[in-house]
Amino acid sequence: MSRQNFCGSAEHGVSRRTFFGTTMFAGATAFAANMRVMDALKNPCLASELKRQQKSVILLWLGGGASQFETWDPKPGRPTGGPFRAISTDTPSVQISELLPKMAQRLKTTAIIRSLNTRNADHGGGTRLMECGRAVEQAVDYPDLGALIARELGRADSQVPDYVSMYSETEGRHKGGPGFLGARYAPTFLTESMIPPNIRRPESIPEVDHQERADLQKLLAKRFAEKRYNASVASHGMAYERVRGIMASETLFDINQEPQSARDFYGPTQFQEQCLIARRLVEAGVPFVKVARAWWDSHGQNFETHLELCADLDQGMSALLDDLKQRGLLDSTLVITLAEFGRTPGINASLGRDHFASAWSCTLSGCGIKGGSVYGKTDPDGHKVEDGEMKAGDLFATIFAALGVDYKKEYHLGARPIPIVDFGCKPVPEILA
Amino acid sequence: MHQVRGVIAIVLSVACVWATTVDAAELAAPDLAIEQAIDQYIQARLTERQVQPAPIADDCTLVRRTTLDLQGRIPTIAEAQTYVQSNEPDKRLKLVERLLASADFAYQFRNQLDTLLMGGQKGNHNEFREYLLKSVRQNRHWDQMFRDMLIGNEDDPEVKAATTFVRVRARELDELTNETSTVFFGVNVSCAKCHDHPLVDDWKQDHYFGLASFFQRTYVTKKNNLAEKFSGEVKFKTTKGVDKVAKMMFLTGTTVDEPVVEVSADERKKQDEDVKKQMQDDKAGPAPKPPFSPREKLVEVALQPGNDQFFARAIVNRVWAMYLGRGLVHPLDQMHSGNPASHPELLDWLSRDLIQHQFDLQRLVRGIVLSQAYARTSEWSESTEPPAPDLFAVALVRPLSPRQYSMSLRLASSNPEAYKPEVGGEEWQKRRDELERNSEGFANQFELPGENFQVGVDEALLFSNNAQFVDDYARDSQDRLVGAIKQQTDRTTQITTAYWAALTRAPSTDEIAACNQYLEKRTEPVAGLRQMVWALLTSPELRFNH
Repeated sequence: MSRQNFCGSAEHGVSRRTFFGTTMFAGATAFAANMRVMDALKNPCLASELKRQQKSVILLWLGGGASQFETWDPKPGRPTGGPFRAISTDTPSVQISELLPKMAQRLKTTAIIRSLNTRNADHGGGTRLMECGRAVEQAVDYPDLGALIARELGRADSQVPDYVSMYSETEGRHKGGPGFLGARYAPTFLTESMIPPNIRRPESIPEVDHQERADLQKLLAKRFAEKRYNASVASHGMAYERVRGIMASETLFDINQEPQSARDFYGPTQFQEQCLIARRLVEAGVPFVKVARAWWDSHGQNFETHLELCADLDQGMSALLDDLKQRGLLDSTLVITLAEFGRTPGINASLGRDHFASAWSCTLSGCGIKGGSVYGKTDPDGHKVEDGEMKAGDLFATIFAALGVDYKKEYHLGARPIPIVDFGCKPVPEILA
Repeated sequence: MHQVRGVIAIVLSVACVWATTVDAAELAAPDLAIEQAIDQYIQARLTERQVQPAPIADDCTLVRRTTLDLQGRIPTIAEAQTYVQSNEPDKRLKLVERLLASADFAYQFRNQLDTLLMGGQKGNHNEFREYLLKSVRQNRHWDQMFRDMLIGNEDDPEVKAATTFVRVRARELDELTNETSTVFFGVNVSCAKCHDHPLVDDWKQDHYFGLASFFQRTYVTKKNNLAEKFSGEVKFKTTKGVDKVAKMMFLTGTTVDEPVVEVSADERKKQDEDVKKQMQDDKAGPAPKPPFSPREKLVEVALQPGNDQFFARAIVNRVWAMYLGRGLVHPLDQMHSGNPASHPELLDWLSRDLIQHQFDLQRLVRGIVLSQAYARTSEWSESTEPPAPDLFAVALVRPLSPRQYSMSLRLASSNPEAYKPEVGGEEWQKRRDELERNSEGFANQFELPGENFQVGVDEALLFSNNAQFVDDYARDSQDRLVGAIKQQTDRTTQITTAYWAALTRAPSTDEIAACNQYLEKRTEPVAGLRQMVWALLTSPELRFNH
């Protein structure tokens, strides 16, 4: 009888053996038997070493679509360039918009991609595309980047959330989610309140009872889970096991825990405060944090809009990079600054720029990235990509490569293999360290 | 380009499914009882693989499992104990017959069909749910429901509700084509993006667009009625770049020709204007009905002897998966030659049986739940690795649906006296309706379990810290379980009652000891009982059907 692994992958033959070893080492925990199944089905194989390195991602999401002209790919003096200048940076020969003066001094941490051609200039579709790294297809519920990273870099028994998404503004607010990876990788989604729901012990139960009640539940559940080799059952145990740890992580979301100097360093805006929360989370081992800053959808008054929003972004992003660096976290934290698309070269009658997905920019900073590099090129007026065209999937492949995640790996949905990045997509080695 | 190529690849494999169907003469006798046929085929493969299946589950597990499956809730203590204490040799048969005849069955089977048909759809569709409920109560057969849902009758309010299936998808031709194909034929035509077979013949492209052609003329009027245009075709570019008009074609290759009717330019213009008016004007009269309806033709072609294999196999596979935890073909929407059935003959036998009995699904359900394959324990006690799930050698643990979970929590946390003696009768139907509605709010907090279901930490946090949950379910008022057991003087009795209410079984000695020890330590006895009940209500044993 040929042994059939649940996901049909020969890879598990190896990883399961590896896992037996660790299980024995860890001792007979309540869910050991099921963790075995959990591993076979759910957990990234042979990823333990990667996880030990505690890599993290912070995604700064510019909801509504920031203009590449007023940020990373200025075209001063051109008809499409708008009123702002380009300024020199700490990297010779690289210029960015004068609206990002602080980032101009920190490009040595950052790679600029100027050649995204993603072809979807619709908010909903563009968002799904840039969140999942591929066009949405009806047959498969794809996970978004946060869920993919949570799965690849998170620990199954993590005591902190492994996908936190902060989206305070309403424009483009979208929870995203784990798709076929399952609820284990669903985001802790924070909108109005920065305190996750149900994270506090209710007053009706004393602390000691809360703890011992959980212990009793675990003890009683053990008998049930023991002989049932089922990943869903295992996930139930895992979820309850994580409750106490997640509750303890409540303080991570509280920036009052930071000294005033740190808060001043980041700045007073909501976005800047959330950048600080992101750093606190990453420092505590959260593998993926998204901070959304919306209202970039500047169909009218594009230049005033960017004057204001770029200042917010410039301060928040540069403070975050500085802080991560000072704490020795930048080598293990990848900061992605991305939107659903860019904005048109043409300036409309309301002095706005409209949706544009044919030639736009994003940045990658920190972990695995060759700082000071620029990849891709648009034509002099920014109408189209002239060199190094990248699709959403290429960006995702580059992100995975920067983190040391095998971008060629496949998940299995039943018998169907689903590659982690879209077909034919490859990382861009030029901007990888 | 890539997408188009993918689409064709799947059609290629679809065509092959047809060829792999086992010759009818080789199948087991048609007059075999369904459960016997199932057990015969399942056992044959176990023997071939030399796998000893897990034993039949104990009475407590079986009455819980079957009640959850056929009534959508856990049994009450009274229902469970009646079954367990019965010495009748045919008590399982009687149980299944009783459950199938109960008011609860209609709700549960309706909910299952609703999930199948509308699972991915947002918004409420109460009229459709009502239609399903009535259909289950009348045991309306699946082919008839298919007709209702695809063709409908906008003048008959009851059947009009059925077309919700088409109406909510009518604005997206791809969605309507794909989901009709997925739900009713088990073939996901949009899925082949990852099949790397660039070999494409033009006629296979004709297949995909041919299926879409049956829906091309469907539209929704301003008054939200379903209607069809007088004309309209699907045009597409072949992989060789040639523009083509699709021919209406079913998955088997059967094509439909529209009768040629001479229509003058003026008439055509008027027809187009009528349709335009229907789409824009909410005061327009009834939508004109063209003499030729492609959707009607699709139903006709799909149910033609021979062609009906797709329709029959898809629903057999889905019903099987509802009760066994995975399909004979798995995933359920991947019925193609690259993904053969675990038990091809069984699938064929069951499909033939379904066709021979005019698509009577309730008969199929009865046979499945009476089989031994359904009744095995979900525990694997051997020292060997558990057998592959597609052998059905050990029962698969299945997560409760949000509704099952919500209703079961309500029952489990209620004073058992409230559901005593046995529920049933007319009064019960009202209460069941209430239970169904009251459970909705809580059920909506949970996602429908899909494949590879996992419990997220959000759920565990909700149950651990949401005051509403704790205070409601584990309240010590008279109508609640805690309120009932706090009146009991003996601790073992309290623990035993709580176990029966929540987990449909008596506690083991170890469990009594663990609970006892816990309660012993509490300074506030009632708080202790509430916490113990919480530990049972949040148990995986309640969360899953096992």
